[in-house]
Formats: sequence, C-alpha cells, structure tokens
Amino acid sequence: MSRLEDELRQALRRREPPAGFAERVLARAHPRESRRPSWFHWRWLAAAAALMVLVVGLYFFEERRRRLEGERAKQQVMLALHLTGSKLRLAQQRIQRFIGPGAAFQD
Amino acid sequence: MALDQASFESLLREHQAMVFSLAYHFFHNQAIAEDVAQEVFLKLYENLHRLESPAHVASWLRRTTTHRSIDYLRRGHVRPEVQLEELPETPDLPGAADPLLHERLRRLVASLPQIPRLVVLLRYGEDLDTGEIARVLKLPVRTVWSHLYRALALLREKAARYLGEEAV
Repeated sequence: MSRLEDELRQALRRREPPAGFAERVLARAHPRESRRPSWFHWRWLAAAAALMVLVVGLYFFEERRRRLEGERAKQQVMLALHLTGSKLRLAQQRIQRFIGPGAAFQD
Repeated sequence: MALDQASFESLLREHQAMVFSLAYHFFHNQAIAEDVAQEVFLKLYENLHRLESPAHVASWLRRTTTHRSIDYLRRGHVRPEVQLEELPETPDLPGAADPLLHERLRRLVASLPQIPRLVVLLRYGEDLDTGEIARVLKLPVRTVWSHLYRALALLREKAARYLGEEAV
C-alpha cells in the first residue's frame, strides 16, 4: 500500500454525526407515522363513505319516485282529456242528429 | 423476515456514523452531510418492511447515501466540488499524522469528480473491495478499477502540487 493510500484511510475514517443527530431523525420520523391513517381513522373514513352512499342513494330513489308520480299524473290527465273529448264528440253528434242535417246553416 | 419500525432506532444508532461520514466526506460540509444523512434514514424508515435482514440494511444504506448525495448535487443545492483555489497555502508541511494534512487530503478528495470521489470514499473510508463498490454504484468492476486508478493518479498529482512532495 502506498503512503497516499495509507493517509487516505486515516483522513477518510468514519466520524460521528453532530450530537443529537439520532434524536432529530427520530423526531422527523415519528410525525410521519402519526400522519398515517390508523385503524381508528380508517373506521371513520369507512363510516363517512357509507353515509355518503346512503345519502346519494336516497336522493336518487326520491328523484325516481317523483318522476314516476309525475308520469302517472300525466297519464291520468291525458286519460281525462281523452274521455272529455269523447264525451264532447258524442254530445255534438246527438245535437246534430236532433236538429237535423244542415241545421247549422239555418237562422 | 422483514424488519419492523421498532428496530429502526437501533439501526439508526448502529449506522449513523457510516451514513454521515460518507455524506460528510462527499460534500466536505457538515450541515449538508447531516441533511442528506437525515433524508437517508427517513427513507430507510419508510422502506424497512422491504429489507430482509440487518446485513442487507448496511449495503442498502451505502447505496442510498451515494445516490442521495448525487441527487443533492443535481438539484443544485450545492456547488459540485470543492474548488482547488480554496485550498490554503502550505507553508511548511508537518508529518503524516498531522490532522491538517488529513484535512487537506479530505478537501482534495472532495474536489474530485462525483463518481471517482465515491469510489475513493468507499475504498478507503468504508474499506470495500472493488467488487463491493461496483455493486453499490451499479458499475462494472473494470470501471471501478479505472475510476480508482485515475482518482489516485489525480490525487497524487494534486497532493504534490498543493501539499508538497512529502505528502505522496
């Protein structure tokens, strides 16, 4: 081994880090741990997700119920109009039969 | 068997000198070395579950320290090398055991290009053979030999110029 290599070994030997280094690393590592969601946090997240699914589900259920009710009401109105129209046509035919053909042109 | 978080503190205390020294001799700056060493151990903390044994940890730490040190330079946090112009004049050189001589040698090493610098640090600071250095730096063994040979030649030349013939 050359003298330079020997001197390099001595110059580059290990040195201890400044005092408190390990404590500073541990202090930085532990907050990371506490930021991780624990089982407690996971439970709350699951409950919140379930509640959100329930609320969204209820909203869509209510929307569907309202739409079906609206369609039913619309059908009833259409049926009523249809019936009214039929009755009116029937009444008009009877009147025309009663007063005879061409009566509409008489004074 | 994977390591757990409980073993982190003992691993930290066991390997802190190795990680800090590698970073310190690479940057020749205590504050930067501590910054890099802290990042390396926090990375270890996050990756403990992937490491199989304490023996694996030492090589993982060496590899991560060298990579983090190079990354640190690439991110532009620090000038690449110690400039030779910053080296102090050497009026009369003391003997080989003089701490001043070693301090100047450390500065010379810190003035080497990144990869040869790491090769020298792992060879003489960590006492690794060229095969182990090749694994840490992910380089072919021949390339490591080549870097080592050229780094020593450069150091001899610089030492002769800046420290005087006595140092080499």
